[in-house]
Amino acid sequence: MSHAEGSCDFVVVGSGAGGATAAMILAEAGREVVLLEEGPAVRDEDRGLGTSEAFFRLFRAGGTQVAVGRSVIPVLQGRCVGGTTVVNGAIVWRMPEDVHARCFGAIGAAEAIPLREMERCFDRIERDHAVAVTPEGLLGRNGLLMRGAAEKLGLEGHVIRRNVLACQGSSRCLEACPSKRKQSVEQTYVPRAVARGARLYAGHEVRHIEVQGGRAVGVQGRDAEGRAFRVTARRGVVVAASAVQSPLLLQRSGLGPRGQVGAHFMAHPAAAVSGVYRDEVKLWQGGTQTYEVDHFRQEGFKLETASLPLELAGVRMAGFGKVFQEKIGDYQRTAVWGVQVRAEAEGKVRRGLGGTSIAYTPEARDMERIRRGARVLCEMHLAAGATHVYPGVHGGPEVVRSEADLRALGELPLDPRAWSLIISHVFGTCRMSRDARGGVVGHDFGVHGVKGVWVVDASIFATTPGVNPQHSIMALAMLAAERIAEERAG
Amino acid sequence: MGVGRSVGLGRGAERRLAVVLGAMLGEPAGIAEDVAAFFGQYLRRAPLLAAVGLRLMVWALEWLPVVFVGRPLPASALGPEVLARYLGRWAGARSYLVREGFFLVKMVALLGWGAHPAVRARYGMPGVAVVRAPGGAVVGTAEGAVAGAQQGTEGS
Repeated sequence: MSHAEGSCDFVVVGSGAGGATAAMILAEAGREVVLLEEGPAVRDEDRGLGTSEAFFRLFRAGGTQVAVGRSVIPVLQGRCVGGTTVVNGAIVWRMPEDVHARCFGAIGAAEAIPLREMERCFDRIERDHAVAVTPEGLLGRNGLLMRGAAEKLGLEGHVIRRNVLACQGSSRCLEACPSKRKQSVEQTYVPRAVARGARLYAGHEVRHIEVQGGRAVGVQGRDAEGRAFRVTARRGVVVAASAVQSPLLLQRSGLGPRGQVGAHFMAHPAAAVSGVYRDEVKLWQGGTQTYEVDHFRQEGFKLETASLPLELAGVRMAGFGKVFQEKIGDYQRTAVWGVQVRAEAEGKVRRGLGGTSIAYTPEARDMERIRRGARVLCEMHLAAGATHVYPGVHGGPEVVRSEADLRALGELPLDPRAWSLIISHVFGTCRMSRDARGGVVGHDFGVHGVKGVWVVDASIFATTPGVNPQHSIMALAMLAAERIAEERAG
Repeated sequence: MGVGRSVGLGRGAERRLAVVLGAMLGEPAGIAEDVAAFFGQYLRRAPLLAAVGLRLMVWALEWLPVVFVGRPLPASALGPEVLARYLGRWAGARSYLVREGFFLVKMVALLGWGAHPAVRARYGMPGVAVVRAPGGAVVGTAEGAVAGAQQGTEGS
């Protein structure tokens, strides 16, 4: 394994959506870049091996990372070259105007980060990532059923735009696309950065940012073999290690306003509802996520298909033994849809016993949105012809079969312990603010109180966007890197 | 990731777990034994904290029938009806921690169960690892994938 050392203009920490984009833009600008990724490179033989292997090889903490509060919620993040873009559903959403206003207008940054500039970045990213509406032949029955339900109930929805080139429809996006058709950044901007001279080091965890005279001058860390490394940065350090790891790095380095770094952890908690149909659905055929209903986006939730693999589909099915077999026996005829919520609750990330600690509990208002979304999903499944639906909520009706059953769903408990939630979008822990009293980075993405350290990942969001964030993260990183590239050597 | 090396299942524990998992999943002994073996491997690979927590749950599931159904026996020695009642108490417990502990064991077991070749064959599914044609294309994908792929190429 190669070992990082020496000097460069910019060190970029993290090779996911933000880091890969920043590294490429800086390299294109002629800057000397070292791109450091804690996780391993993704080899061909790591792809398409099933959920368990994907967890161990490609996810943080082997897929066991959790947020702990009133309940325990899995927080899924990629940990490999390409980061979470390698293991997500390839959903592309341009940041809508209302989201931009909420995320940046509210903190007075609408002029510093104009939507028109982001649109320019979106255009380029979409060209570079083969973004297109999912072709009809790849919707899968899961997507077709949701579209039918939306049309029947008059709900606004659309076929998902994805960053996939010539998808084969193996429904394995979450295991790292086995045919490398998904245009995750390890396929696009990472190699492009390397082609422009960036030096990529996988298996290199940055533990500390060195600062001299109030300016970042390099990083220190350990590689996967336990060897210490140090890289000097003449112009600065760009942090893009995710809304969980970026604040931890700043905390370890003693950077950023105390009390703000790691605070304001926010998320899009999600829950799944499965419906059983008379005809085959075959979740393993088609794109992993192909249709979404954004009818309720202004209410704070969005619905989308999610083709869960067999290994995960039975997790929250009540019952065991013969009862479990009867339920899971319908897997071929099961469609799975999810509700994802623009939650308002705030938590905290810090170093805890045995590693990362994420403290987080959805608020009652967030749970009301989840409950409403789950009810709509049940209604949609019935409208699409499901014979029965499993809401998957402890203490609620186990099965919904009719309109009459739907009424009981309005009384589903709001206690998060009754729900099977999952988080894959995280934000806010290095949030942007005008000054050090309100957040961690300024409108120029620079960390308050230190020169030459910028954060360009989802941690800068001051609020949850309510739409899939990869595209927005990349556009923000692109915008930031274009400006950072002009930074003079310290 | 290798920090969980000291956590695992001994042969006896794995054998006992297979009995419990067989009842939990409704599977015959052969598949249940494979899933229990998977469980042991999972523990060895999992991060230390997760592995220790799971190992404790496996222990509790095996040794607490006396608490849940008043039988001073390990779960693997219970008759089918009592074992079913015992598992029902875990799954439906009012205590979130108890319920969640049961759920965690089930989740890991399902990772192994859903990857089992016999189980996947039952559903007419391809193997858990993709099979590639000589050209590298993945075999067993959506029927409309070829047409869709062409559209996708044009669309991009």
